[in-house]
Amino acid sequence: MIAWWTSREPSQRWSQLLLMLGGLLVTIYVIAPFSWLVLTSFMHEQDALSVPPQWIPVRPTLSNYLTFFDPSGTRAVVGSRAAEQTLPSMLNSLIAAGSTAALNVLIGAVAGYGLARFAFRGRGTLLAVYLGSRMLPGIALIVPLYLTVRTYGLLDHLSALVITYLTFTLPFTIWLLKNYFQAIPRSLEEAALVDGCNWWQMFWHILLPAAAPGLVAAGMFAFMTAWNDYLFAVILTSTIASKTMPVVVAGFATDVTTERTLMAASGVLAVIPPLVFAFAFQRLIVQGLTSGAVKD
Amino acid sequence: MLGQSIRDDDGRQGVRWNASGVGYERPYFAFLLNTPALLIIVLLAGYPIAYSAWISLHKFSLKRPRVFDFIGLSNYRQILESDEFWSALWITLAFTGLVVVIVVVLGLAIALLLNREFPGRDIVRTLILLPWAIPPVVNGLMWQWIYDSKVGALNGLLVSLGIISEYRGWLSDPLSALLALVCADVWNAMPLAVVLLLAALQRIPVELYDAARVDGAGPLQLFGHVTFPWLAQPLLIVLILQTLSAIRAFDVIYVLTAGGPGTATTTLTWKTFLTTFDSLDFGLGNAYAYTISLITLAIALVYFRILYRRGDFEA
Repeated sequence: MIAWWTSREPSQRWSQLLLMLGGLLVTIYVIAPFSWLVLTSFMHEQDALSVPPQWIPVRPTLSNYLTFFDPSGTRAVVGSRAAEQTLPSMLNSLIAAGSTAALNVLIGAVAGYGLARFAFRGRGTLLAVYLGSRMLPGIALIVPLYLTVRTYGLLDHLSALVITYLTFTLPFTIWLLKNYFQAIPRSLEEAALVDGCNWWQMFWHILLPAAAPGLVAAGMFAFMTAWNDYLFAVILTSTIASKTMPVVVAGFATDVTTERTLMAASGVLAVIPPLVFAFAFQRLIVQGLTSGAVKD
Repeated sequence: MLGQSIRDDDGRQGVRWNASGVGYERPYFAFLLNTPALLIIVLLAGYPIAYSAWISLHKFSLKRPRVFDFIGLSNYRQILESDEFWSALWITLAFTGLVVVIVVVLGLAIALLLNREFPGRDIVRTLILLPWAIPPVVNGLMWQWIYDSKVGALNGLLVSLGIISEYRGWLSDPLSALLALVCADVWNAMPLAVVLLLAALQRIPVELYDAARVDGAGPLQLFGHVTFPWLAQPLLIVLILQTLSAIRAFDVIYVLTAGGPGTATTTLTWKTFLTTFDSLDFGLGNAYAYTISLITLAIALVYFRILYRRGDFEA
């Protein structure tokens, strides 16, 4: 610290210090609210309810998290059935979001390649349709979707959720992957075709690996959109056969009789997958968000 | 940088490469590649949006599911004549306006900060993604816990700092409930603005700043004449993305305020949800939903007009 201070020009020292102070404020703003949720999840209920708040848990406990693994235990009975549904709903969410991500990458890569490499009539219209459908508010689609899903007897099935999520995630995936494919030199695929690969072999063995960062980013965005969704999940699911995690977590939050520490723990569990992705693939996310939002 | 390379290779070559003999000239193949995606989007977005318009012209309630009478635009007339609609519209405008202004100003400030070099900058750049990764439902639950009137952290903090003398019900007063909702949504939405604006800042050539400095420009002039022109388009994108996402905010309202107290935080989206799934009036609910769609469409058209000039799509 002292070495850093003395190594700077005197005029730079204060501006550097100011910038660091700004950085510290941003860090606090970003971390403080979430860390309060995390801290609460490690407290006993009566400590969490103390006034003034116990900022650091004096007697930290894992009991809230353990409750989810012991659904027949005494604590899980308190309040709603949310505690016993937390882990099964997490599994549902993983399946729904995972399938959405996989199908996105598959369907989106093929479509994105078509748009990146071919000049054809209607290409502009197609791109406009994809971009336009990203603008539709979910609330406008929910009633007809609900009626349709009900007609086909798919209410409370995960498959109905996955298909719905595809509608919302595919347009972004296609735009993103179109941009990635355009950045890959054509000479790569031409060389493969000259070497006697058919189109599918070239696409599978040459092009997809070259676009891997884009595929990962696209899959991740789709996963997170599906993982985060509440509106469609709460309308299209009703039992633990297909309830996803946001539905169960919201059930905790809107039930006044639930223990707040259990609620906090379920919230923390719901954050883990997206948080792991966000930090593990930080650079890909930043690139993807940027190239998906700016034009071409 | 990737964004850069994509912008350089904007596909204009596509036209020229057409006759290169590797099949690029087969348009039916390109359509074939797009068929699965198009099917899903047309069936699950196009069809519902049309169906939704059709339902909105009918008297249709799940309470009397056998009645499906065509009543023209009566649902829309009922909406436009009701105080509830106008109240919800104003609340939507207030909520959206506040969220967008705060997100843009705060996002720009943080992006400018993170564009400067200082020890620890990379850590802050990583941490800024944290709120973005939090699902809106958890975000709502987290703030509900912070705002709690009896044991909440906000009350605890403000009392121990001596700013307020006793605990308050932040979510039970109409004005503070709206502001609390705005703050919660801003926290969740701000990282996207920072990421987009920071990426734009990093694309500004350093030479421009050097040249301006040689010409004797001060910090304010640097921002006005160099930084801002390069930021205009990304700022617009952030503005529009945030506007659209604030108009559709649902999860956070559901968990945090449920539209209350009274109707103080009942936005159009929440009103649509209540009409449809609480009153089970699907006809009226769809008319509400369609009204939101039209508002969103108008904003989206502005987006198209400003960002994509004619012919851009053929690029």
